[in-house]
Amino acid sequence: MDQDFDQLNYYEMLDIKPDASALEIRSAYNTALQIYQSDSMVSYSFFSREERNKILALLEKAYLTLINEAQRAIYDNEINPSGNVVIEGKSVTVKKPINIFDINRQGKNSLMRKNHNTELKIKISQSQLVGEILSRQNIKGADLRAIREELGVTIETIHQETKIRLDYLNFMEEDRTEKLPAAVFLKGFVKAYLKSLCIEQADGVSAIYMNGLGR
Amino acid sequence: MAHIWPIGGGKGGSGKSFLASSLGRLLAKSGEKTLLIDLDLGAANLHTMVDVPYPDKCFSDFVSKKIPVLEDIVIGTPFPNLFLISGAHDNLDIANLPYEKKMKTLKSIAKLHYDYIVLDLGAGTAFNTLDFFLASRNGIFITTPEPTSIENVYRLIRAIYMRRIRHYFSAADFKVLENRVKQNLGEDSFNKPEHIVAVIKKDFPEKYESIKKDFNAFKFKLILNQLRKQDNVALGGQICKIIKKHLGINVDFVGNIAYDEHVHDAICQRVCFLDRYPHTRAANDLREMNRKIGYSFGEQLMLNYL
Repeated sequence: MDQDFDQLNYYEMLDIKPDASALEIRSAYNTALQIYQSDSMVSYSFFSREERNKILALLEKAYLTLINEAQRAIYDNEINPSGNVVIEGKSVTVKKPINIFDINRQGKNSLMRKNHNTELKIKISQSQLVGEILSRQNIKGADLRAIREELGVTIETIHQETKIRLDYLNFMEEDRTEKLPAAVFLKGFVKAYLKSLCIEQADGVSAIYMNGLGR
Repeated sequence: MAHIWPIGGGKGGSGKSFLASSLGRLLAKSGEKTLLIDLDLGAANLHTMVDVPYPDKCFSDFVSKKIPVLEDIVIGTPFPNLFLISGAHDNLDIANLPYEKKMKTLKSIAKLHYDYIVLDLGAGTAFNTLDFFLASRNGIFITTPEPTSIENVYRLIRAIYMRRIRHYFSAADFKVLENRVKQNLGEDSFNKPEHIVAVIKKDFPEKYESIKKDFNAFKFKLILNQLRKQDNVALGGQICKIIKKHLGINVDFVGNIAYDEHVHDAICQRVCFLDRYPHTRAANDLREMNRKIGYSFGEQLMLNYL
């Protein structure tokens, strides 16, 4: 027994939430009456006559206060001057929407992926070869392969991340231009390829590559 | 250690033995080794419910030390996996079981090797009944939807509450407490454990904390038996609510068992109701209930009892 009935607030007496509507208050009052009325089987012999009368009087007061909006506002203010009536332990954490589809299928490893990316960036900044290739004015498929191999990324990884067909990736690296898709697609592919290697100037490099192809 | 389920209710005829035998039957049927103990001392009749009309050993033999080990007075029943300690030929003075015998019995029960032990307790609020009920935290209260029965179940719950509080105090301390309660709240108030707890909260805060913790660990259950069609189905839930609100004890309402003339027939024929009338409403209710209480266990108390 944590608290006596007469020390509960009106909401607790009627077992309702602080934001209960008038309809809810009314039905809660009816339910309470069913329990506490003198002819109720539930509370028969549970209380002495005085206790029962006291409880019924309290319930009536609670009901009449809460059902009257003006009085309810005053009462709310009284029991909790800061505004909202908060009943302990009732706070609900709101669930945020979650993605149903994980485009990269790497949801669980997202942290690992982040680390992987920073690792790649460090490698890029340290590698002379990569820097040298990126500063060239003419970049071919073989150069892309050189960068990839320098960074130690397999072609399959790129395929998985970018979802570009493996044979296209191979054609790109082998410079078999006749097999490559139309320029519109190819440009995007190259960009995605470079991005998956975490190369920042992917736009510029892909433009240079496309120019080099001369299509 | 076995799961012990004491079954108590304030009033006679509310279905304690019926529930004990049915529950035992259902547990045994699901393959659990189950023991029924008839602790309705002085008014034992559980043996009749499980079709053992002439038990050759009974609880008195253990109390009078004729058979020294409790395990040895266990008798089989016609049902596989179901065993019984009967009280059929108990001495007529068994109802006044002395304290040390009761403690010996409780300790022996704790040592038995069964999956489930169902204690069929007597009506009323004698100390023996209360102590056996408090042997486990899984106590089941049973009542019928009649004011007399509900009145008695409230009394029983209060008596158990009080008995448990009593364990936290020495005799002298308890006397002090009693006087304080009477001073603060009037002569009559000592009969209400909720008043006593209010005083304990004020005067013995550390004891209040442990009592509160203790009672939160209890998983009492309430079953409403013999619910007729015109009765209020929400009654059980409301009873639990009012107990929670005014006594601060958690009692789970397990369910209603429908009133069924067939139960009377089965008892008169001295056959197991669930076997004789397996497709009646009451039988369905019993099976449903068994499924439900199977999920919620409180820990056993027996060993840290004294």
